[in-house]
Formats: sequence, structure tokens, C-alpha cells
Amino acid sequence: MERAENSHIPKKPGPYPLVFMRFRPAWAYIDGIREFGRFFCQTTFGTQELADRACVVIQETLENAVKYSSNSADSELELSIESDGANIEFSISSRPDASHLSSLREELIGIQTLDPEQAYLAAFVRASNEPEASARLGLARIRYEGGVELSMKEESGGRIRITATGKL
Amino acid sequence: MSQFTAVQVPKAETVVISLTAPNQVKLSGTITQKDPAHDLAGLFKALHTAAMADKLAEVRADVSGLTFVNSSAIRLFVDWATWVKNERGHRYTLRFVTSRNVTWQKTSFMALMSLAKEVLAIEHVT
Repeated sequence: MERAENSHIPKKPGPYPLVFMRFRPAWAYIDGIREFGRFFCQTTFGTQELADRACVVIQETLENAVKYSSNSADSELELSIESDGANIEFSISSRPDASHLSSLREELIGIQTLDPEQAYLAAFVRASNEPEASARLGLARIRYEGGVELSMKEESGGRIRITATGKL
Repeated sequence: MSQFTAVQVPKAETVVISLTAPNQVKLSGTITQKDPAHDLAGLFKALHTAAMADKLAEVRADVSGLTFVNSSAIRLFVDWATWVKNERGHRYTLRFVTSRNVTWQKTSFMALMSLAKEVLAIEHVT
């Protein structure tokens, strides 16, 4: 698909992200935010391929953030999208339940020992071999289908920030 | 009488499901609810059981109209493929009819194929 005529791709990072959203961790919001991300990427960067990748990144990261958010009053999620004209970065900040943090850390380290395709295939094999366990396909899917690398940063107040960075 | 066509299709919020032939199920829409297994795991299991009882040679699952799904939904397709793969004796080919224009279908059914290629077939439309 051709790039949008009114492309708004920034030449260099600005002082603010292109998108910043803050909201309560509710499942009901995910579909709407994903579809906004699709529209935003399609309109701003003009490629269906990037819009599809954005959908996977946003859906799966927000699902994880909502599922494992603590019940405290300061558990709002933050989603930002930034670009320097060559790369795109999705960043999701949340305040997870403490019991989830170590398993998330382990899962991220585990999938990063393999290239994205191999990690996704390995996640399928694990899901097949463990029918009663939760799927745990999401992070590997983000890397492979989303075409991004993932990192996690622990921040003050028990918050974490998952960042997904890939080429435009 | 075909047990496959007698399977009760659940009503789900964002996905339309229909049995369009004695060996074909068609799904279209999106699947992004928190626990898609609640609506769909029972359906897939019932279709699998019926296909075995009917001794079908092939089941066609037309997912070409499923424009987006979450990974919990993808896991349901992994489960279905695993059930067929683990059958001893007669087993059918599970043929997924997919769209080349839908990104998640290209990546996920490629991965699924590598998991159970002896019982799966992938057909591309559009």
C-alpha cells in the first residue's frame, strides 16, 4: 500500500511521544486502543504492514498488563508510541502484581535466547505439550509477528515498562 | 447421520461461526476476549469428536475471515491440531483455509504447520 499523502513521519524524535495514553487496566478498553493504534500507524506511516504489526504489539502487551495489574489505585496503564523516522517504539508502563514479575522476567529472557521465529515455534511446541497450562504465546508472538525486540525496565513504585522496538 | 453437522454452534460476541458442509466450519470476525476457550474450546472438541465418529478424511476450518485474534485464540488452534496429531489409528487431515492478506494467519499457521505437518494442510485464498 502507498504511503499516505499527508505522512506525519517525524525526522527526529520530538520532545513528546506521538501517542500517549493513560487509562485504567480494563479489558474492555483493549479492542478500542488496538484499533486506534492500527488507524494511527496506517495514517501516520502509510503502511498496512506496520498497522498490522502495531495491532499485535498493542493487543498482546495490553492483555498482559491488564491480566497481571495490581488492584491498587495507582495501577493505571500508560501506552506511548514514538518514532525517530527509522524505527518505531511502543512502550507500556504498568504496575503488575509482584508475583508476576519474576515469571515475566524469565519468559523474556527465555525467548531472547532464540531468534524470533524459532522462539515462536518453541512456544507452539510448549503449548502443545502442556495443554492444561496457559498459552504463553504472547511475548514470542509480539517479537515474531510484530517484528520488534522487547525489553523490560523496572521503575520506581513497583512499576515496569515493557518496550517494543522495531524498524518502521 | 452426520455427527459433524449436528454439532451445536455457540453464539459468540465478535465471531460468526457456521457449519457450511458436512466437514467444514467457517469462522469470521475477531477473537480477542479474555478467555476464548469459554466459547470455542468446547466447539472445537465437539467438531473433532464428531469428525472421528464420522470417519472423515478431512475437516476444513475456514478462518480466512478471521481478521484478528489474540494468542489465547491461537492456542485453541494449537490444541485442535494436537488432538488430531495424537490420535492413533484413523485420523483426518485438518485443513485450514487462510487468507494471504491477513498477517496473523501467515505467521501463526506457518508455525502450526511445523508442529503437526503430518495431519495439517494449509490452503490460501485471496
